[in-house]
Amino acid sequence: MLKEATLFAPVSELAKQIEAKTLSPVELTESYLARSEKFGSKLNAYARLLPDQALEQAHAAEKEIRRGHYRGPLHGIPYAAKDLLSVKGTPTTWGAKPFADQVFDYNATVIDHLRNTGAILLGKAAMIELAGGMGYKFASASLQGETKNPWNMSCWTCGSSSGSGAIVAAGLAGFAIGTETWGSIVCPSAYCGVSGFRPTYGRVSRYGAMALAYSMDKIGPMARSAEDCARIFAAIAGHDFLDRSTLPIDKAAFTYSPASDLKGRTLRVGWLTNAWKQYDPGIARIMELTHKILQKRFASTRDAKLPEGPWEDTANVILSSEAGSAFGELIRSGKVSELADPLGRIGGYVQQTISGSDFNTALRIREILQGKMTELFDSYDVLATASQPIAATPLAMDLTAPELTFADPLGAIGNLCGLPALSVPCGFTEKKLPIGLQFVGRAGDDAAVLQAGRVFQQATDWHRHHPPIS
Amino acid sequence: MKEKDGKTLSRREFAQRAALLSATATLTSAQAVLPAGVNEASLQVAGSGPKLTEAGQAEADARYQQIIALYGNRFDDAQKSELKRMCAELQPSLESIRHYTLRNGDAPALYLKPLVEREKKAPPNMNSAPKHS
Repeated sequence: MLKEATLFAPVSELAKQIEAKTLSPVELTESYLARSEKFGSKLNAYARLLPDQALEQAHAAEKEIRRGHYRGPLHGIPYAAKDLLSVKGTPTTWGAKPFADQVFDYNATVIDHLRNTGAILLGKAAMIELAGGMGYKFASASLQGETKNPWNMSCWTCGSSSGSGAIVAAGLAGFAIGTETWGSIVCPSAYCGVSGFRPTYGRVSRYGAMALAYSMDKIGPMARSAEDCARIFAAIAGHDFLDRSTLPIDKAAFTYSPASDLKGRTLRVGWLTNAWKQYDPGIARIMELTHKILQKRFASTRDAKLPEGPWEDTANVILSSEAGSAFGELIRSGKVSELADPLGRIGGYVQQTISGSDFNTALRIREILQGKMTELFDSYDVLATASQPIAATPLAMDLTAPELTFADPLGAIGNLCGLPALSVPCGFTEKKLPIGLQFVGRAGDDAAVLQAGRVFQQATDWHRHHPPIS
Repeated sequence: MKEKDGKTLSRREFAQRAALLSATATLTSAQAVLPAGVNEASLQVAGSGPKLTEAGQAEADARYQQIIALYGNRFDDAQKSELKRMCAELQPSLESIRHYTLRNGDAPALYLKPLVEREKKAPPNMNSAPKHS
């Protein structure tokens, strides 16, 4: 069993050791598997571990590397994929009982891309059922039950990429893949104290991924640093003829260059003053300190404001309408009643009553909002604010409780317009729960967002903290 | 974090919101689908629901009744009560987007392509009055 220091190391460091042949992919995989077996079930972090498949891939990687065929920074790195990405011949449950026995005979494009880089699929990460597509009231809205936060097992990880967040935070794999329709990468990354990246809509193929909202779903990495996110994103980004929503070849591909990224370009940061109505007291203090770091480390950090408008309502109408369609058969058949969450069992019926007129109105507002955000990004390269105004919530908490009801215009705007976002750890509350800082960029300028995260992490070490899990 | 002003649908994350949404327009009126013997007054959401106008309440009731008409036998009383609440809580959100000022030429973002390297200048104004009617 490798030491914790290795298991919590970022991909960038593991890769150096693997390339130098001082770290064995087989030993790394065995150690992550052992740790996953020990802690995975305690946390409800996995839908399924794939030990045989993982070890087979690890042995193949090790053999290749020994022969001198090193594929790149993900070669020999074990990872977990959210259980809405199809893996040929393996159950892909979407976190939901009605799909518990679902098996596809093909891989999601993201899985194939990672396989081509030599990354090792360790298992499928637990998730909120249907990625929360029918709504949910409790953290237990999952086939695997509630995913516990490695920083405090009585707290939740947030959703819907719950397992992905827990796996990275607890050092059960080198990285994980999550998805976001609205908040499902940014929020778990913040609650779990990991670095999570939501790419521009259309840069990562969704072929083989469960659809929730066709015009809002994105797939992205959750890892131990912004640099790791950049490396993983470079591996999974790209046009895919199997996914019509992907951007053209020259717009979708992403090349990561660790040497050049931090030179050459100075970023203008917009510090958002109206993203959150208020912070919990402990978080306000952390965000003040974070603001000072940004002012010191970036050439320009000025206050910025999001445009005002019914962006959350717009996002809700589009998302709910698309979800009502995506899961139409599940709702009409009545099988939706098999979902774990009481709200999820009935939410779809309400979604299905959305009118075409209201849906179109929302789409028209989206077009206007895109223009407003383009104007805003004429003045700033990235916008920054807290990823969430609160820290991880208790496991049993009713998620519709008044204290959790706060506006999230940036989440709505970012996901309506397909903007890239990165959440990086920026401190801890007095109860030792992580807090996240969020960077959001212009559509297509994923590089700026990742660069901002790297600059911040060069000045801080919050991303190197890990929970004392035992 | 207790904002709930009727204009901004609250909640940080889609998960809780998705289920609170729905809309109307396939319905003509609540009365059209109201089962015999059901008193409209009984549909009023008690206590914690949003304060709706009479028309807004009627629309929310109609949504609820549409669901009940199609699938009523699937729900117990508690679920029906929850559905009723969700239909009502949706209403301010719908009214919010309907009240947003849009011009006839403001077209929908039919297929989302993020504005990668989009021209900064707006395209010619397609909403100005036509030269020939």
